Amino acid sequence: MLSEEQSQKHITTGSGDLNNILGGGIHCKEVTEIGGVPGVGKTQLGIQLAINVQIPVEYGGLGGKAVYIDTEGSFMVERVYQIAEGCISDILEHFPHSHEKSSFAQKQLQPEHFLADIYYFRVCSYTEQIAAINYLEKFLGEHKDVRIVIIDSVTFHFRQDFDDMALRTRVLSGLSLKLMKIAKAYNLAVVLLNQVTTKFTEGSFQLTLALGDSWSHSCTNRLILYWNGNDRYAYLDKSPSLPVASAPYAVTGKGVRDAGNSNHKRVRVT
Amino acid sequence: MMNHDQPSAKDQCGKIWSGIQLLKDTTENKHFLPTGLEGIDTLLGGGLRQGQLTEVTGPSSSGKTQVCLHSASLVAAKNMGVVMYLDTSNSFSASRVATIIDGSSDLFELGLDLQPKDMRLKSVMRSIICESVFDIFALFEVLHQLEVSLLNDKVNNGGSKMCLLIIDSISSLLAPIIGGKYPQGRSMMISVAMILKKLADEHNLSVLVTNHMVSAGNGAVKPALGESWRAVPHVRLVLSRECGSNICTATVLKHTLKASGRTAKFVVPS
Repeated sequence: MLSEEQSQKHITTGSGDLNNILGGGIHCKEVTEIGGVPGVGKTQLGIQLAINVQIPVEYGGLGGKAVYIDTEGSFMVERVYQIAEGCISDILEHFPHSHEKSSFAQKQLQPEHFLADIYYFRVCSYTEQIAAINYLEKFLGEHKDVRIVIIDSVTFHFRQDFDDMALRTRVLSGLSLKLMKIAKAYNLAVVLLNQVTTKFTEGSFQLTLALGDSWSHSCTNRLILYWNGNDRYAYLDKSPSLPVASAPYAVTGKGVRDAGNSNHKRVRVT
Repeated sequence: MMNHDQPSAKDQCGKIWSGIQLLKDTTENKHFLPTGLEGIDTLLGGGLRQGQLTEVTGPSSSGKTQVCLHSASLVAAKNMGVVMYLDTSNSFSASRVATIIDGSSDLFELGLDLQPKDMRLKSVMRSIICESVFDIFALFEVLHQLEVSLLNDKVNNGGSKMCLLIIDSISSLLAPIIGGKYPQGRSMMISVAMILKKLADEHNLSVLVTNHMVSAGNGAVKPALGESWRAVPHVRLVLSRECGSNICTATVLKHTLKASGRTAKFVVPS
């Protein structure tokens, strides 16, 4: 079991600092929840992961496909194309062209191929969301090369229209168990993007992740994205094997990268 | 006719115990299994008691899984018996077990630090059976099979019997079925409780389960699973962790031998 774990590759997030606090990147066989205020870069990170999972094995990636379940409609194809181009240019920079690397592999590094390997589902209600997740198991049985499932965002359809909170809790816990099962059975990473809400505790209002206390219990890892002045930071809030830590990151024209190079940063829109 | 070994399950059914027999059984058989976390062991009066069901509850990321991993690692490393770890959130990690053992100060006492690292880890992992469970029916199946194998004396690792059963977390499995109009959920919860207590008593196991917190109105939180579950565990601990630190606090909610309300701090080593 240990050797299996040690040979697991992680999905790089694009930012070295972020990878470090995550222990190398997003882990397969685990459900990672990423939450933050609007505008901090959750969808950007989701798209970056959908691209990064496809980095071929020769270049240190997993060479897998991605399933992207979009509940809010924030998947902008032009941006995905841009991020794919950024990823490819980084790969080519990192691995300069040599005669050993097959030219076929290099030809495959086209943004179109990256886009073609993302399976996109658009859901418009919570019943569709539940149906999509139930269908996933069959879908993954037929497409064994999917290595990441991203749900952006898991909260959206559960925030309004729910009169019965107990029903919401039951449905959500059932959903999270199914996702855990899928992650383990098909050896892929599940990434759930979540929104924030205010919570009234001990006499003050605090920002916490949406969907309640029961939901916060049902992921393996949790990453919280927040603003610190004009910089974006990520805080690893929950992990079974890593200590809590914070790391800065930036959203550039090419995608999610390390903070520090302030020329291309996308500024905070307040 | 008094047995000096642990009485078999057949003897226990319907057998009437005298006070002297009970005392003998308690002193000879009902040992404390240490968790390896000093504060918790002090609160528990030595550790997890065999024959008892201990519950660890707390908000997300307060250290519950760490308590489980520490107990499993230490009990396996000290060769006290076989540990069965039922994991519902893909949090069990062999590398974390390795880190815990390597960092443990007890090793020096046991003379285990003389063994090479991978040999040590192999012998520890052989004593831990880890299974992933993702719904309540799978849990019933696993527990039933466990019952059968324990009766046939099959669960042992070259002579040592099973002594610790950990379910992390039982509330994730029960959350999708509890609540709402139909009482089947609660009756399943009580069935699980009965089976666990029976296993603990008949086979001298210590059972450790984790629970999460739900809101109790006015911003307060309370352990999940409701009023019916409150009476089930013999010992209940509540954990909490200050944001950004490794120091967790444990409070005794219920204990069969000691007064409740006592707290202790413990550190989760990284």
